[in-house]
Amino acid sequence: MPESAISIKELVKSYEDTVVLEGLNLEVPEGTVFGLIGPNGAGKSTLIGVLTGLLNFDDGEIYIKGLPLDTKNELEIKRQLSSVLQPPLLFEQFTSLEFIEYVCDIYEISKDGLIEKAYSLMDFFEIKDFAKIKVNKLSSGSRKKLAFVTAVLVEPKVMLLDEPFEAVDVISIERMKTVIRRLKAKGVTIIITSHILEVIENLCDDIAILHKGHITAYLDSVSRKELQKDSSLHQIFEKYVEVERKDDIVDWL
Amino acid sequence: MFSRLLLLNWRIFLSNLNRFQLLLMIGYIMFLAIMLVNLIGTAIVVVLMDTDPWMQMQMPWLTPTVYMFILLVFANTYWVMHFSFTNLRLLNIEENRKLLGFGFPLKRLARYMMVISFCHPVNIIYNFTWMVFLLVQVREAYKIPVVISGVLLNYVLIYSIKHRFLQIVERRFIAVVIGFLILVFSLFQMMALFSENKSKLLFEIIPRVETVNEFLSWIPGGLLIQSARTDYGFQNALVMFVFMTVLIVFILLDHFNKTCEGLHKPALRKIEEASSNLWNVLRKLLGRNAGKYYYYVMIHPYNRLQVLTLAIIPIIYVPLLMNLEYEIAKTIAIPTILAGIPVALLAMGMANMYGYENRELLLHLQFPVKLEKQLKERFLGVIILPLLVFYVITVFELLVIPEIGEAINIFVANTFMFLCFMLLFIWSSYYQYQKATYSSFSYKHPIISQKVTFAISFTIFSVGYLVFVPLNGLEWYRLTIMGTVIIVMGVYLWRHMDVLVNLFKKRILMRIWSEL
Repeated sequence: MPESAISIKELVKSYEDTVVLEGLNLEVPEGTVFGLIGPNGAGKSTLIGVLTGLLNFDDGEIYIKGLPLDTKNELEIKRQLSSVLQPPLLFEQFTSLEFIEYVCDIYEISKDGLIEKAYSLMDFFEIKDFAKIKVNKLSSGSRKKLAFVTAVLVEPKVMLLDEPFEAVDVISIERMKTVIRRLKAKGVTIIITSHILEVIENLCDDIAILHKGHITAYLDSVSRKELQKDSSLHQIFEKYVEVERKDDIVDWL
Repeated sequence: MFSRLLLLNWRIFLSNLNRFQLLLMIGYIMFLAIMLVNLIGTAIVVVLMDTDPWMQMQMPWLTPTVYMFILLVFANTYWVMHFSFTNLRLLNIEENRKLLGFGFPLKRLARYMMVISFCHPVNIIYNFTWMVFLLVQVREAYKIPVVISGVLLNYVLIYSIKHRFLQIVERRFIAVVIGFLILVFSLFQMMALFSENKSKLLFEIIPRVETVNEFLSWIPGGLLIQSARTDYGFQNALVMFVFMTVLIVFILLDHFNKTCEGLHKPALRKIEEASSNLWNVLRKLLGRNAGKYYYYVMIHPYNRLQVLTLAIIPIIYVPLLMNLEYEIAKTIAIPTILAGIPVALLAMGMANMYGYENRELLLHLQFPVKLEKQLKERFLGVIILPLLVFYVITVFELLVIPEIGEAINIFVANTFMFLCFMLLFIWSSYYQYQKATYSSFSYKHPIISQKVTFAISFTIFSVGYLVFVPLNGLEWYRLTIMGTVIIVMGVYLWRHMDVLVNLFKKRILMRIWSEL
């Protein structure tokens, strides 16, 4: 069993009276691409929010790269993390290149060759022409790609990608997958949430299904092979989120 | 459908108000009611001045020419008020345009939005008062349509000019500032000339009221009065009515097209390469965190307008007050206006502590830099500029208006005002926070509602009076109190920066997250 990059034990998170994550347990193996899927409102974005340190949690324990997520280790953990949230967080009044430079400066990334790397990645994702365009003028797909490029350039050990393929064209999705695989090969752990099951199936080593604040299924490479002999990921997903057949409700259509 | 749109806009309006602003709204409604009664009352009194026998007995000097002069001054002053208060930024175009996605016809939506924005209570009050003021002066029935169309034309013209003017101000900031400053300086030159030769000029002007009336009759307020009082005959009335109606239709059509354009493609912006030297300068001066924050504050169009106002008010009032012979003007009013400048700059900075960056703050929180450090840097960045202005003003007062008091008095009083308002704005930035939205149709400030601006101005003058009014023998007593408060506030703020961090986490963070 490989060591865990992220270890979550009995995590509880609620918004006022609504409990979103209820005693969640999860182990994300080191150097893997990990898929987190679930229906709307399952708590995926909240979990990403907690892991990035944006949201505090009520109870439980979180370890990232072996360090407990608390105020003492906060900065050390943040230095190793990068994320793309949904919608992506960008500095609207900067140009794309200014934004990248600003964020890399804060992460103390060496300036040697940074601009070249930034340009080559922007070129790869077809946003090179927007390098000197203000972020608030970019389309939603370009914004997502810019957030992804920046998250890569800060040289993270763990990447958290909340719906990274949303609004992105198919070519760029393929290129994102290429980058993700290369990062994995370099030992980076990547957590992806998405509703595009085909991409998750194709890209991820392990997959967890989150439903009503619990992990209802954990599919590692072995169990996936076993389960997917008879059914697709879509069918497994339906089974674990207890989808009720409601086709008859719209019979009037 | 119209009633539903009205309901939608009413809900958008209400949902943007917190309890504090709701209370202010009640005050605002009362203010509008009082304004309506006062305006109509004043209008009627002015019109009936020369016909009421009691009035004629009380004011024998009220010759028809002087009466006409009063009438024209009132009408033109009223027109300036109307121009200033006509409300434009009413509707949230971004919210309303979503209706287009649900199949709401574009033209109908534009038409309804125009009707709703034209019917703002302030606009109705002004137009209604114009109608009352002018119609009581009408002697022939055929003038009524001319008066009504005149009032409407006046309104749509004001609306159109203001709308375009605001857009010009936003786009051509520097040109407008320089233009305004030249205008103000020329005005001062004229006023200086007038004040030096006051008696001579007055002696010559009074017998020439008729000439003045002639001039006043041809500026907007005067033209409206002419529409009600001049005998232009039925045929001319008909021509004027048709001409004005056509003009109204054209202006409304133009506005309608602009509204359609705004609804259809507000997001279509010119994509061009941007270079921000300002950002580079600020980053070097204030650091990457405070520098970025101040960059956002400085490029916001609303703040540019605020700076414009801040530049103009002291330029107009301080030299005026310095020429007055009343000692109280120099000892209280001037220092209060001057102390208000750094306070207003501070408000500009502090008020926008979170609102303008809003969701971007979440990215700041992910950075491997402590939140305490980031907030402290911002805080220092915000107070540096007002503090510099504050010291310049203090030196100016000591050199130019030494009669205000001793150096220590001025310094302590200014610092006291500065710190008091800083605390007020800190409180406001946590407890009155809201996401800033800005479009050519609506503006929502992050923490200071437009309706509070008046209250804050009033507070500045009240505190100004308290700290600058001469106390003669008791000066030391006030100095001791202010000095103690300054030391306590300063030390507390410096040592308890974590209070700001905790307040941010407790009151702001969750709201920003939920606005994702």
